[in-house]
Amino acid sequence: MPGTTSVKDELKEAIIRGKRNAVEPLIQKALSEGVGPEEIMDEMMIPAMDVVGDRFSRNEIFLPEMMIAARAMNTGLEILRPMLVAKGVTGKGKVVIGSVKGDIHDVGKNIVSMVLQGAGYEVIDLGIDTPPEKFVDAVKQHQPRFVLMSALLTLTMSMMEETIKALQQSGLREKVKVGVGGAPLTQNFADRIGADFYGKDARAAVIKCNELI
Amino acid sequence: MKPRERVLTALKRGTPDQVPWIENDIEEGLQERIMGTTDFTPGELCEKLGMDGFGYHFPMGGKATAGQAMQAAVGFKESYYYPQKVTFDFVPPWIAEMGVTETGRTFIKRGLLTSDDSLKLFDEYLPDPDHPARYEQVSKWIAQFKGDYAVFARIRLGSASLLESMGIVEFAYNVYDNPGLIKEVHRRFSEWSAKVVEHLNKMDFDYYWANDDHADTKSSWMNREQYQEFFLPYQKIVANAMKKPWVFHSDGNLMPILDDLLTLGMNGLHPIQPAAMNIKEVKAKYGQKVCILGNIDLDYTLTLGTPNEVDKEVKERIATAGPGGGYIVTSANSLTDYCKTENVWAMAKAIKKYGKYPLNV
Repeated sequence: MPGTTSVKDELKEAIIRGKRNAVEPLIQKALSEGVGPEEIMDEMMIPAMDVVGDRFSRNEIFLPEMMIAARAMNTGLEILRPMLVAKGVTGKGKVVIGSVKGDIHDVGKNIVSMVLQGAGYEVIDLGIDTPPEKFVDAVKQHQPRFVLMSALLTLTMSMMEETIKALQQSGLREKVKVGVGGAPLTQNFADRIGADFYGKDARAAVIKCNELI
Repeated sequence: MKPRERVLTALKRGTPDQVPWIENDIEEGLQERIMGTTDFTPGELCEKLGMDGFGYHFPMGGKATAGQAMQAAVGFKESYYYPQKVTFDFVPPWIAEMGVTETGRTFIKRGLLTSDDSLKLFDEYLPDPDHPARYEQVSKWIAQFKGDYAVFARIRLGSASLLESMGIVEFAYNVYDNPGLIKEVHRRFSEWSAKVVEHLNKMDFDYYWANDDHADTKSSWMNREQYQEFFLPYQKIVANAMKKPWVFHSDGNLMPILDDLLTLGMNGLHPIQPAAMNIKEVKAKYGQKVCILGNIDLDYTLTLGTPNEVDKEVKERIATAGPGGGYIVTSANSLTDYCKTENVWAMAKAIKKYGKYPLNV
């Protein structure tokens, strides 16, 4: 397929460098050359975000570069989504995410949201100070694969356990995988409250989700 | 040594008679639990805990309020000029849409400085830094309460104001989309703080504590070149205005930008968050340049741990960072109202037990 390698590299590079204005023409070019939307997604865009995530984890790039890359990725996803839906491709699934009740911090949660979207997940962001019942309602409404909870304060960490209990009491716990993250958290804490995983940063959260699909 | 001399000696990287203890904030709910009332003076709180100084805010017989009472937006100007409770804070408001939780903590719903047009909000939100009322009132409180204690004013270099009033995501985009907006917003906040500091220099404060978060536990939110371009020149506006010792505070891992950050010439670096930075490494690499403050863990030890664990941690920190002076014990952020009261007492006792020079730990 002439030109495919070039488009593949160019699109990957455009996302890595956060060149969102270059993304649409490159996707159109790839499509015109006969590359399918799934291939564009799986072989160009998601690998690009893997590179970005790895560099971010290693402090080779920082928040601005990671965020503009995620934005460029989302630009591409908006273009491809109708085509993928038309072909019956559902993507990686939905993630319900929120800072738990009492916690008003959202920087970490927002970073994780952006990176998850960039990795191909549909993210339903419940915002900050999210009570257990709001998580439960969101699970009923959106039927996500994952529920991710964030807490910056030890004061609010206990609400993660309360939320897991609320999911259990509603009969929803087995329908979702629960992940937790935030500065004061540890793997031990995640294990103790019955979470399925702990993500120490945004990249780790994505890797854990990918493993559990 | 008197408490003030103890703090100032350590800030100048000298060796006092005892490792000092100060805090960037003690939330009012915890103050009330320690004192058994809200009706006490800052000096009485220091005396009871054996602490060497104060700043921040106090209920003084009124209702203890949640959070750190540092942020407000709409209606901020009047409450800034005429504070209704004892405070030593001189921070600008967030230019943001604010919310309040059920427990009374304020939070930022979204930053409002997201376009060139939004710059007009500065006039609406920022108080006049030359308005005399707050300086006159706080001067009276200093004269009334200072005694032998080291008293600090909390200020900002402008960086936290930029990041919170723009929003961290918008900031990230604007590094590439509209770098001029970032610089203009930072410049305006920094020039406001510099004007405030010119007034504070004439007051009886002993030092300043600049609160400007730049990082999370993984890393700073910007790389070194971005720090040099978007932050350092504007922070220098405030740093150059300060004529007294000062402490810089940012949570998180500052290592990617620390060499540049220290060119600001601060006397103290706070809080060396254990989850993000290694105090032994910081002391070894930077202990000849700056006093180290902090590192008593808030994520577990003070909030979930036991008094024995607090004792052990304080001992270990003093053994690590105390030799040669230039170390001040503080929590790794502030004493929040969700710290266990018994752990705060354990911290107070351990500092006296292990912190006497010459150290024997």
